[in-house]
Amino acid sequence: MSTFEAVIGLEVHVELLTATKLFCGCSTAFGATPNTQVCPFCLGLPGGGTPVLNKRAVEYALKTALALNCQISPEITFDRKNYFYADLPKGYQTTQHFQPLGKKGYLTINIKEETKRIGIHQVHIEEDAGKMVHMGDILSTPFSRVDFNRASVPLVEIVSEPDMHTPEEARLFLQKLRNTLLYIGVSDCKMEEGSLRCDANISLRPLGSKGLGVKTELKNMNSFRAVYRGIEHEIERQTRILQEGGEVTPQTRHWDEETGVTKAMRDKLVAESYRYFPDPTLPPLKISEEWQMEIRSSIPELPDSRYTRFIQDYNLPSYDADVLTASRELGDYYERALDTYREPKNLSNWIMSELLGLLNTHNMDIVDCKVKPHDLGNLLKLIDEGTISGRIAKTVFEEMFATGKKPEAIIKKKGLTQISDEGTLLKIVEEILADNPGSVEDYHSGKDRALGFLVGQVMKKTKGQANPQMVNELLREKLKK
Amino acid sequence: MDLDFANLMAEQIAAAMKGKKISPAELGDTLFRRSTRAQKELNLFISFDQKHIAGEIKRIEQHLPDKNCSLLGVPLALADNIATDDQKTTCASRFMAAYQPPFTARVVSQLKENGALLIGKTNLEEFNLGCSGGSSFFNSVKNPWDLECSAGSGAAAAVASGLATLALASDTRGELRQAASYCGVLALKPTYGRISRKGLIDIASSLEQIGILGRCTSDLAIALQVLAVPEPDNPSTLQIEAPPYASLLEKPEENFKIAVPTCWNEASHLQDEVKNDFQEQLENLDKLGLEVNFVTLPHFKDASLVATMICAVEAFSNLSNMDGVRFGHRETGKHLQEMYIETRSRGFSSKLKKFITFGGLTSTPKYYDTFFRRGQKLRTLISRELESCLAENDLLLTPTTPFKAPSFAAPVSGKEFPDPAGYYTAAANLSGFPALSFPLFYEGRLPGNLQFIAPRKHEAALLQIASLLEKEFSSHRPKFALSLQEV
Ligand SMILES: [Zn+2]
Repeated sequence: MSTFEAVIGLEVHVELLTATKLFCGCSTAFGATPNTQVCPFCLGLPGGGTPVLNKRAVEYALKTALALNCQISPEITFDRKNYFYADLPKGYQTTQHFQPLGKKGYLTINIKEETKRIGIHQVHIEEDAGKMVHMGDILSTPFSRVDFNRASVPLVEIVSEPDMHTPEEARLFLQKLRNTLLYIGVSDCKMEEGSLRCDANISLRPLGSKGLGVKTELKNMNSFRAVYRGIEHEIERQTRILQEGGEVTPQTRHWDEETGVTKAMRDKLVAESYRYFPDPTLPPLKISEEWQMEIRSSIPELPDSRYTRFIQDYNLPSYDADVLTASRELGDYYERALDTYREPKNLSNWIMSELLGLLNTHNMDIVDCKVKPHDLGNLLKLIDEGTISGRIAKTVFEEMFATGKKPEAIIKKKGLTQISDEGTLLKIVEEILADNPGSVEDYHSGKDRALGFLVGQVMKKTKGQANPQMVNELLREKLKK
Repeated sequence: MDLDFANLMAEQIAAAMKGKKISPAELGDTLFRRSTRAQKELNLFISFDQKHIAGEIKRIEQHLPDKNCSLLGVPLALADNIATDDQKTTCASRFMAAYQPPFTARVVSQLKENGALLIGKTNLEEFNLGCSGGSSFFNSVKNPWDLECSAGSGAAAAVASGLATLALASDTRGELRQAASYCGVLALKPTYGRISRKGLIDIASSLEQIGILGRCTSDLAIALQVLAVPEPDNPSTLQIEAPPYASLLEKPEENFKIAVPTCWNEASHLQDEVKNDFQEQLENLDKLGLEVNFVTLPHFKDASLVATMICAVEAFSNLSNMDGVRFGHRETGKHLQEMYIETRSRGFSSKLKKFITFGGLTSTPKYYDTFFRRGQKLRTLISRELESCLAENDLLLTPTTPFKAPSFAAPVSGKEFPDPAGYYTAAANLSGFPALSFPLFYEGRLPGNLQFIAPRKHEAALLQIASLLEKEFSSHRPKFALSLQEV
């Protein structure tokens, strides 16, 4: 039995965050009543007018192409891809076929402690289609509905080179791509709302071979998990076919999340049957050096360089740097808190365990977090200064998380300040020793465990406010006598 | 007041309206009577009715106090591929036979705001595909000069018969000018983008431009002035102000340098009559003291073929929205594909289907380089040749069509590929240059014609030469086969 290597390329469609559509003034807001964000142009009505290119969309696409290290075409053209489908009002999609905006870019992923470069074949602008709404069962329903609100919403399509070989690499690439797009703020990249959609081209070849096998195109993967599972399943399916001496049929397949298998779709339009020709209503557009410079300078620090900087400047382990740069907002949060509290690793621990823990429990995003970075910094300072214990700090933080109040205010209101006064603590320690003669005896007979019990009793009595270090010291001292 | 519209200029009608020499009601009645008669004889309308004309009269009464309406009460005919929100717009296609646009073309609003009275929507070839007949769902239009001949379009017939003073129709490979030549009226196809294309249901976006039909130069100038207003929100239109055409006509340029392509007499189906008339006109121009030079334009003769191919590819794509999903005719089918096939098979004429099939084939990846890309290169070449010729000359002169209005019994064009009627006209569409067709009248014969092509944005030169010829030739108009004066 021969072993195979999978060859995977991704085609990612991303909706751009423009207020209006690619060629008309209609709104792009998600979730509106069907067919309310339409006009004669984007409905494809006869005589519905000529397209007026949305410059902001080109700007966002240019930013994307630059962030993905692409070579930019000095002049771009728009072309029509002609095909019939009920969700395509004009009977063609305006896209970029002959002179796409960006080519030959790359993105790096970190896999097994190694950095791998994944090529970007091309980045281009195109318009979205409408959305089919099948009423009930697709086969038995007498009709389908179409919502054209999405028709002509601006997209960038990012086509990777077939440089990936495992589902994990594909997942990492997609995550890195999403992260990069979120960093530059061109899309909200919500897979569940369809603002980021991913198709995969998958083929197998004998390990060590350089050729390319017959590929299938896999669609309908609506989450990162689905991308991973869908590709994994398709590789298994093709492997089985080849090992049994069969041949893979070139086709488009649908990932079915519920059953966990890929299914062949009927009516595959092979690429050869699409007709492309230059859109006669859209003149070529110059992408000047100045414009590129301007957009380039507006690109913020990207995840890769921030990751490296976090490791170098803050001495963070690579795991921490990876987590903290996973989104632009989290990285920004971390660095703002760091302005107040200059202990990078302590801060990182707190954010990764406490903050992300709570966000996860409440299914929230960092942008929804009520705790200001400065307040988190102050809370950690209060621990280091001994004003509160780490345990109390967690209680305080929970309230900060729920209410957005400042740590000082919560501590003051609830009287949570740590008791570090030696006289007060000594009195309590003496009481506890008097109340627990058995434990004192145990301690003296060599059972160290007893000390822990006594510390616990002091903490219980002080509702956790006693300075644990001082309690420890005082108990040892008293017990010596 | 005599309502002899056939002999009144737009300016005179507007003045009569302002001076209350014609009452709006009287105007409406007369127009409706004559339209009914003309429709019966010529089949020139797709939509016209008393209710709409009455509505127009009411609107014009409200315009009366406004002294700035240069087209007050001027009867206007509109080709039925230009959208109106109060009347269906069918493009003479079965598929579109009940289509009611929710908007009005910008050109229509512009003329109406200036007082023009829209009589109705006129017949044309399906989606304005040529003017050789045979594809309109509403049958062919008869020529007012000879009812046995084709008029080319209802818009041209409406102006020729004296029913409408002005008409708007589109010009993709020369349809506007060809029909004008068959009907003996003036036609001006402005520079591409000079007037708005918003609301035009076009089959070939890069070629097609709305143009004006009229009976005298001054009418064309007034209409062009109203229409040639830049559209700032539409970058595909010219963003420059138009010159004052009327005052340019007052002191016309008389030293035109005119070029004639040597291939002018190589058109297929060139009638001897047209050939002789043209040669005679060249002598007349010489007598007027105009400099006429023969020039070689090596690719001018390919213009019609190239334009036809580009037109077919664009039509294939532009008409892809006609799928029965959102509007228009719809047949039932077992599934989506079948619904498409049935709908389009029955919604379109066989002529149109052949044409868009040709466009579909030409743009498949297999033939793209051999045909379409080559066609695009030729288009550039033809435009450049024209441009350099017109850098040294003011105007290019040719006949408008190689033959006069074709008879229904023996149609010249329509069967051949490309349509021989487009031999002289297509180059102006490929280059986007403005062109004008000038009618020539002969006693006992169908009208003849001359075509002038000017450099981009030089519509003024076209109006000036037409004005000059109008004065010099002032050939009297022979009688039509159809007379509406008594109706
Ligand atoms: Zn719209």
